[in-house]
Amino acid sequence: MVTLVQVVVSGLLLGGVYALLAGGLTLIFGVMRVINLAHGEFLMLGAYASFFLFARLGLNPILSLFLSMPLMFGVGWIAQRVLISRVVRAPLLTSLLLAYGVSLALTGGAQATFTNDFRSVPFLSGALNIGELAFSVPRLVACVTALVLTGAAQFFLSRTRWGKALRATAQSADVALACGIDIDRARMIAFGIATALAGAAGTLTSFLYTVYPEMGKTFMLKAFAVIVLGGMGSFPGAFLGALVLGVIESTASYVTTTQIAEAVIYITLLAMLLLRPQGFFGVKEA
Amino acid sequence: MPASTSGAPSTDELSDEPAATSARATGRRGMRIYTGFIGAVAVAIALVPVFGSNYTKTFVLQALMSCALAASWNLISGFTGYVSFGHSAFFGIGAYATGIAIVRGGLPAPLAIIVAGISSATAGLLFGYPALRLRGPYFAVGMLGVAEAIRVGVTVAEPLTGGGKGLVLVPEDVLTVSYYAMFAVAIATVLVTYRVATLPVGLRLLAIREDEVAAELNGIQTTRLKIGAFAISALFAGLAGGIYAWQMSYIDPGTVFAGSLTVRAIAMTMLGGQGTVFGPVIGSVVLSGISEALWARFPFLHTALSGVLIIAIVLFLPGGITQILQDRGWLPRSRRL
Repeated sequence: MVTLVQVVVSGLLLGGVYALLAGGLTLIFGVMRVINLAHGEFLMLGAYASFFLFARLGLNPILSLFLSMPLMFGVGWIAQRVLISRVVRAPLLTSLLLAYGVSLALTGGAQATFTNDFRSVPFLSGALNIGELAFSVPRLVACVTALVLTGAAQFFLSRTRWGKALRATAQSADVALACGIDIDRARMIAFGIATALAGAAGTLTSFLYTVYPEMGKTFMLKAFAVIVLGGMGSFPGAFLGALVLGVIESTASYVTTTQIAEAVIYITLLAMLLLRPQGFFGVKEA
Repeated sequence: MPASTSGAPSTDELSDEPAATSARATGRRGMRIYTGFIGAVAVAIALVPVFGSNYTKTFVLQALMSCALAASWNLISGFTGYVSFGHSAFFGIGAYATGIAIVRGGLPAPLAIIVAGISSATAGLLFGYPALRLRGPYFAVGMLGVAEAIRVGVTVAEPLTGGGKGLVLVPEDVLTVSYYAMFAVAIATVLVTYRVATLPVGLRLLAIREDEVAAELNGIQTTRLKIGAFAISALFAGLAGGIYAWQMSYIDPGTVFAGSLTVRAIAMTMLGGQGTVFGPVIGSVVLSGISEALWARFPFLHTALSGVLIIAIVLFLPGGITQILQDRGWLPRSRRL
């Protein structure tokens, strides 16, 4: 019983970080109908940013978020302005291929600049014992940070003026435009926020896992599984999907091995795509 | 339907009068030139093992393998618009089917490679049946998941596949034989593409790409066609994988299921022109040459370069090199709906 609770709790902690990453992916899909295959690479860039800030300047990864998130916002803004905006109205496959190109360019660029070495950020360790349960401190910190950031993004989307503009653009870009919303800017903000969230997720994963140029691929697939579970384009759905996926992953890796757990995630993704492609909260496309 | 998938931007439609005229003027004489040119290239490739060094042989073999992979990817993705990010799965299945048939089953290599083709095609049917019901982008990312899941599965199934350590086949010097085998597979893939492009079935596949619902309403059995194209695509990728395993006599999951195989196939096809007969061929020749020239000096630049290339083609040249050649009247126009 204790083990079961332990496994579920560590799955939920993992899910918090997935929520942060998947939130951005689902935001981009919602507002622009673009599946950003480069999302995992933005996570990788964020992870490297924290690694270098930590290794060179000894900056606390959580504090480095204040530097890296605005930076990543800028990266996303520029990526949207220069590249993605050209294909927003094109069919999905065009933007998918473009994002694929961006993802490859970033991975290759990182391999050339940062080398293929595995890096790690030795930040926080140990466990917090409550009764018979033990919580890993880094995961706890990562999860709490992720929840705060996801909450902030949700607040921005549901309570602020620009958040409303983003939601309007997601619902119907043409009507939003007719209502006087600067949809180009709304898209740049959406992409910027999503990238900043991915970068923050990178910071959190940097002290949970190893950092290397190709780390983004697995995370991208997991984030995609999350938003398929939750319903593409739904921000709360992504949150719920992330928690579910976290629990599935931690249970599967407890029962079998981490390797098989990875396969279980992909199978979950495929099963969900086939059985309920609209996810928990998504609206079935007409 | 928009420019990027239809092979030529709409602006081109308005201004292609002169190109069309010159293409017509080329006429029958042009056809003879093409046939002669293609024949000359084929003879040159066939003669490489006779006169070329081992280095040249290996390089051309690589290019032929890329060509087979690109052309087989093009069969499903270029024609129907169902972009598969999991093409390496079929290459890997072919490689492992060959390896297992030789090592555990004791089959002779040619038979093992046939087994590879059958296994891949069967896997194509098996995965295609559910996966191709997904709409385009879901299919694309779903196939990425399939490829990863199979890679993990092969790694885990250690008693059969040797797991992460890989599988050692009987080492023998088969460079020349496998060269011709790969050449045959590349030719077969291009010939099938040519048949598909010229027969009515090609038009039906294009119809799926342009508007699947409309195609279905016109009586096209879209699911069946898609699955058929997918299985044939998987067949050729599997044969290429089988020959690769035979020639290398060592395979491991990281190499034969490498995502970079899919990347190369996509980049080459897009560079050459997707949904065309010669696009994958031109693309694989050009990209193999470029990467061979750059590889030694900048090992990691390769991935980045493929990425930049894909971005540039999506944005500026959706029809690929083939489109430039067609605009100049050097290649016959592809059929359009």
